[in-house]
Amino acid sequence: MEALHRRRLLGAAGAVATVGLFGPDVWAQAKDRLVIGMSLEPPVLDPTKNAAAAIRELTCPSVYESLGRIDRTGAVGPGLAASWTVSTDGKEYTFKLRSGVKFHDGEALDASVVKFSLDRLFAPGSTVPAKSLYTDIGKVEAVDSTTVKITLKSPNSYLLYNLSLGDAGIMHPKSAATNDKHPVGTGPFVFQGRKEGDSVSFAKFSGYRDAAAIKLNSVIFKVVKDPSAQVNALLAGDVDTFPGFQAPELVARLRKDARFAVVVGTTEGEVILATNNGKKPFNDLKVRQAMAHAINRKDLIEAESGFGTPIGSHFPPHNKAYIDLTGTYPFDIAKGKALLAEAGYPNGFDASLKLPPVGYAQRAGEVLASQLGKIGIKVAITQLQWPQWLSEVFKEHNYDLTVVAHTEANDLDRYARDGYYWNYNSPAFKAKWREVVEATDFARRDELLKECQRIIARDAVNGFLYQLAKIGVWKKELVGMWENSPTPSVDLTGVHWKA
Amino acid sequence: MIEFLSRRLVAALVTLVLATVVVFAVVEVLPGDPALVMLGTDARPDTLAALRAQYGFDQPLSVRYFHWIGGLLRFDLGASHAYGTPVAKLIGDRLAVTLPLAGLALGWALLVAVPLGVFAAWRHGRASDWGVRGFTQIGISIPNFWFGIVLVLIFAVTWQIFPAGGFPGWAQDAPRSLLSLVLPAVALSLSEIAILTRVTRSALLDTLREDYVRTARAKGASEGRVLFGHALRNALIPVTTVAGLIAGFLVAGAVIIESVFRLPGVGQLVYDSINNRDLAVIKNVVILFTILVLAVNLLVDLAYALLDPRPRVTA
Repeated sequence: MEALHRRRLLGAAGAVATVGLFGPDVWAQAKDRLVIGMSLEPPVLDPTKNAAAAIRELTCPSVYESLGRIDRTGAVGPGLAASWTVSTDGKEYTFKLRSGVKFHDGEALDASVVKFSLDRLFAPGSTVPAKSLYTDIGKVEAVDSTTVKITLKSPNSYLLYNLSLGDAGIMHPKSAATNDKHPVGTGPFVFQGRKEGDSVSFAKFSGYRDAAAIKLNSVIFKVVKDPSAQVNALLAGDVDTFPGFQAPELVARLRKDARFAVVVGTTEGEVILATNNGKKPFNDLKVRQAMAHAINRKDLIEAESGFGTPIGSHFPPHNKAYIDLTGTYPFDIAKGKALLAEAGYPNGFDASLKLPPVGYAQRAGEVLASQLGKIGIKVAITQLQWPQWLSEVFKEHNYDLTVVAHTEANDLDRYARDGYYWNYNSPAFKAKWREVVEATDFARRDELLKECQRIIARDAVNGFLYQLAKIGVWKKELVGMWENSPTPSVDLTGVHWKA
Repeated sequence: MIEFLSRRLVAALVTLVLATVVVFAVVEVLPGDPALVMLGTDARPDTLAALRAQYGFDQPLSVRYFHWIGGLLRFDLGASHAYGTPVAKLIGDRLAVTLPLAGLALGWALLVAVPLGVFAAWRHGRASDWGVRGFTQIGISIPNFWFGIVLVLIFAVTWQIFPAGGFPGWAQDAPRSLLSLVLPAVALSLSEIAILTRVTRSALLDTLREDYVRTARAKGASEGRVLFGHALRNALIPVTTVAGLIAGFLVAGAVIIESVFRLPGVGQLVYDSINNRDLAVIKNVVILFTILVLAVNLLVDLAYALLDPRPRVTA
């Protein structure tokens, strides 16, 4: 309340006449309304139609819920399925659905609805962006109205996790076609409307199965792209929180303000210097090792205003299967130069570094160009728009080096993919990854994951730089926001204003 | 007069047809695959191909061009690939922000610049003239997004008289919507004020050197009558030309100011659709801008004809 009073006073000092009619939106402080700022705008509002992370942040699990639910630690618990059993060979999953679950339009959830939703994910003509996560599924059967059985073609230890992602959100056959513009799900918030380029609003779903846990009556997601406009929106009280604040250089300004809490947590985003392993001279292990020795992660993290955790492989430090491999090729310019000479490049060589238009890549790109320059690699930076990056770098592999964050969870599988953009081809890794996917014992899987991390660290496939931090900013009175970001979602269950 | 106008109209139509070809070609050669943008890095080749077929990205260029032109002629702009909403609705919603913003900025610029320019011309060579010229120099040099941020810090964050950004919507809250356009309009108009002041000043000075002005003075007309009755009307012709050019710029060029003030305007729409490779939106917005600029130019020509009878005869 203190902030409210102060604002009124300042408004009055500025211009008495405007306070009553046009003063700042005092209702932003109401106890059941939350205004969430977002850096990126979701295109459509259906995660099965577009890959944008912002769609998942807005709608999963607020609108669409999945069979399992990923909690704030990244663990999978019951979602729309109350329980499940897995056969010993890991190929049969039987889900028992919660009963009495309703969609926002009043339709009921039953096994046939779940079958409809899951079938869409891997059907032959399906255009679901995350289809590749679900192609191990052989068939989905509705055993009875509350039991769903999934049979896999081959075991997949990530199936439960993947079925808990927003990509596998359960949609009703009646509303699925129009969910892109008018999302309808079983989640705690009902879509109210959107203004393209501006905001999307939701209201509490009174028919939610656990309505008492939902303390907010109204939630508005506002798109604010420009970092300084984000700070202004917070300072002026137009926005209550930025769960994922994207401008580390401006955090100091917000930390000074007693109204806000700045909470730094973890993400699944590994920032890497992706390297075209299929192209000369990067196909030479010695060259990649030389580059690894030239990289000083401390300077890179400093360029991020200190946010980020060093990584030595493609794996998040907060995961329990993580091992610290940052010492595999320690920062050592002399060693880097020597390795480069051994590889036949005593005078270095020219390389292109194609950067996507995101802050961390811009900052890391400049630092890396200077670091690689010290061992004789003359880096020329090219700036690309996202669509260009996707076509030129990702699809056509027309690049030497690029900086990008891989934000998906469990994304080590990229190193086992044929024709992936960094053109890494290691039969040893592929075999190991197959074991990871088919593991039925999670303790065993963790051991295998460690071996996977070691293989790619040793092969210096990419420059492994640091794990992106999640910088959350919110008003101090706001309780229950997630500190970490295990998946791209903004889970508002339990979020409320301090009374 | 009719011949003059019809000649201008035909020229505008030819320009428009040429513009559709150029716009289509430029949009098509933009690097980047819209299907890949929509489906992201995990998309499988078969999914991408299915999506391309669904949106007709796999059709030959000529088919797609005539499909687009056919739609334009029927006032059917198609649907945005990214949002899934009709392009006409998207553009309409954005124009409801951008046109009032441009109007306010231009109106404010003219309101300040013309009197200021007249004042400077009247006080030609004296300290106040130098003052005005110094101000215009500063006005041109200051980037408008920076000025916008400063305005927000002063009038929205510290004093909280105006909103820091955002746009509630005319239907939801008209007074607040108007209020939220004030700071952006002021930020946007600073350099335009500077330009228009300079143009007014130098045009008026030129006119004041004309023989007929000397004649008027010789006949004993008062300074006010010379300035406002004889010189200003002719001096306004170049001012009108420049104001017309500025109007086109204000509609199309407010991208950064829209971003600073979080206004969902046309500039942001273009920026976003280029980033999303939302081809349907880019093509139609650019053509709409072309039509707007052509219309403004026609209006400027018309204004000439009213201010000065000569083009009616010689053009």
